[in-house]
Amino acid sequence: MYLITNALKNLWRNAGRNILIAAIMLAIITSTVVTLTINNAAAKIIDDIRLNLGSRVEIGQDFMEMRAAGLDGRTDSVHLSIDDFYAFATSDYLRKTIFSASMYGWSNTFCALRDDPSNPGARERGDGQGGIVLDETCKLISTSDPTTLSEFGTLRHITSGRMFAELNECIISEELAALNGIALGDVITLQGAIVTDKHYSLTVIGIYADFTDEYSNFMFMFNRPVSENRRNEILTSFATLISAGWETSYGLHIRNEYYLKNPDHVRFYEQEVRSKGLPITYNVAINQAAYDKVTGPLSGMKGAAFTFMVVILLLGTIVLALISFMAVRERKYEVGVLRAMGLARSKVAFGILAETVMIAALCLVLGLGIGSAVAQPIADNMLEERVAVAEAEDAASGLGNRVLFAQGQMQTNDKAAGYTPESEIQVRLGGEVITQIMLITLALTALAGVIGVTLITQYEPLKILRERN
Amino acid sequence: MAMLALQNVSYRYEGSTKTIFNDVNLQFEAGKIYTIVGKSGAGKSTLLYLLSGLDVATGGRIEYEGENLAAINRNHFRAQKAGIIFQSLNLLTNATALDNIILSMNISGVTGVDKKVRALELLQKVGISPEKASRKVLKLSGGEQQRVGIARALAHDPVLILADEPTGNLDKENEARVLKIFATLAHDEGKCVIIVTHAKKVTAVADEIWSLEKGVFRQLPVGK
Ligand SMILES: Nc1ncnc2c1ncn2[C@@H]1O[C@H](COP(=O)(O)OP(=O)(O)OP(=O)(O)O)[C@@H](O)[C@H]1O
Ligand SMILES: [Mg+2]
Repeated sequence: MYLITNALKNLWRNAGRNILIAAIMLAIITSTVVTLTINNAAAKIIDDIRLNLGSRVEIGQDFMEMRAAGLDGRTDSVHLSIDDFYAFATSDYLRKTIFSASMYGWSNTFCALRDDPSNPGARERGDGQGGIVLDETCKLISTSDPTTLSEFGTLRHITSGRMFAELNECIISEELAALNGIALGDVITLQGAIVTDKHYSLTVIGIYADFTDEYSNFMFMFNRPVSENRRNEILTSFATLISAGWETSYGLHIRNEYYLKNPDHVRFYEQEVRSKGLPITYNVAINQAAYDKVTGPLSGMKGAAFTFMVVILLLGTIVLALISFMAVRERKYEVGVLRAMGLARSKVAFGILAETVMIAALCLVLGLGIGSAVAQPIADNMLEERVAVAEAEDAASGLGNRVLFAQGQMQTNDKAAGYTPESEIQVRLGGEVITQIMLITLALTALAGVIGVTLITQYEPLKILRERN
Repeated sequence: MAMLALQNVSYRYEGSTKTIFNDVNLQFEAGKIYTIVGKSGAGKSTLLYLLSGLDVATGGRIEYEGENLAAINRNHFRAQKAGIIFQSLNLLTNATALDNIILSMNISGVTGVDKKVRALELLQKVGISPEKASRKVLKLSGGEQQRVGIARALAHDPVLILADEPTGNLDKENEARVLKIFATLAHDEGKCVIIVTHAKKVTAVADEIWSLEKGVFRQLPVGK
């Protein structure tokens, strides 16, 4: 006990030297706390993204690759049935599947924005084969999981009513509702634009404010079809969309998201869906470009934080080792005196170790406090810079993107278009980081302690005392 | 039986050719004051290092209460049995006089007394006021430091007191005070007090006086 008391007193007696040691330890611990929390927080977000976007398989026609393979002229067997898609969704490799589909609709019971208000839905156009079809006026968009409608919460939010849930419920934009005097609970009727004998009667269960661009896609810079106006979208459930017995050949465009249990198993999954009849004109792929774009700044920051931490730990350890070496040498005389008074070697070592532990414990507490206080602003700063750089690069390279049209759809070769880098990070000092920091502190203390103890056990008290005289 | 006995003790410093002691036989008993006088460099401090177990004889043996000092736990011996007053004081200069003494008592495992009270008493006895007692040793004069060293050596009530030039820095008054303490310890409390010095004056309180010259001990008559 008195050894501890004495160690405590020694902290004050040798304040100058101890402040130096504490400052170095504090610097090491604080920067380790900062870098480690940033590293862990970034890793966690990247993991989350990897489990979502990073494990999300899309099955679709890749016109670029079709063209490269000389397949872009082929129209045979490109239409998969809904049952095919159900079969693809039934796999042990998958965690979940979000079914989503879209389809152009036509209605003469309500007027779409930018349509002719005096005669809604009455426009006709050529079908390209000599016939005449009615021009579509709206787009039905459906999903089996409304929580994945990414724009809700950012650019769109429901201002009255609620999100669709039951069969034949839908939500529409405030503009569309206002134009037609549609109120909550009203029923709107429409039909498919390509096959016209399938009808929908949808109850408007929610109305949302919409801040998206009416024509966000640059394809519609000059020609702005009514049906592509985003205010004319009618959002409903996947079940509702296919309830009228629709098939893919009727213009239903299915774009399911298949989430793998293990993102590395994408090739196994592909083998499985190929064996279930997926033609080679369809691609099975995780959107790596999008994943890289979203996680790019984060993983860059994570790497930088980790590198910085390693450098700090290496340099810090060397400096700490040197300082402890000098500190104990400086205390040689004190060691000699204690030994001459009959204090055993091990107890002298214990006393010096106790001092180191006390300094380390203090630095640990301070370091955790300071580190956790500054980690968030530092992380925000680092990420902000990286996101800005990534966006500037993206803007520069975007000019070179090509656009392809095929089968009434358009694609660009920038698969990451529409994705933005993750720019939010929540740095929190969790139990994991605290444990890791404690282990690092323990290692540092052990290092300083081992140096001290090794030196002390080499000292012969008489030699020390004589040297001094 | 003698408390300390040197049997054919020889000593030579490691790496040195000069023999400091050769075949020395000496005995020290409880209840007596011994003074050992000799010129500078005669080997007085070396003898005390051997007697305190800080160093081990290169030949022969030193027995404490019949046990070979080289074979027993000498940390324990120094902490419990011996009180050493170093020529070079060897105080913790960054600590207060009081802390030096209390720490020494702690190392010796002193229990059953209020250590602070005992330390202050001892310091008072050697003429150090409580005010000076709580000063850092660095901020005390040479003579004051020497008296702190003496108080520290006595703090754990050792049966054997080994003093190396204990009055070297003291004025007459304090020298007398310290010598009186030694006399009381030996004659009233039955301790064995061994003082090495080149100051002849110190021999006044001695029961036995020995001179050390060229490695040879010769007894001198008391009162000379
Ligand atoms: N570590 C050492 N190695 C070799 N010789 C040493 C060592 N320490 C002391 N000596 C020598 O041993 C001899 C005895 O030294 P010691 O310190 O015992 O003398 P002393 O009688 O105490 O002298 P003083 O009165 O000056 O204190 C001296 O000649 C000294 O030079
Ligand atoms: Mg000497």
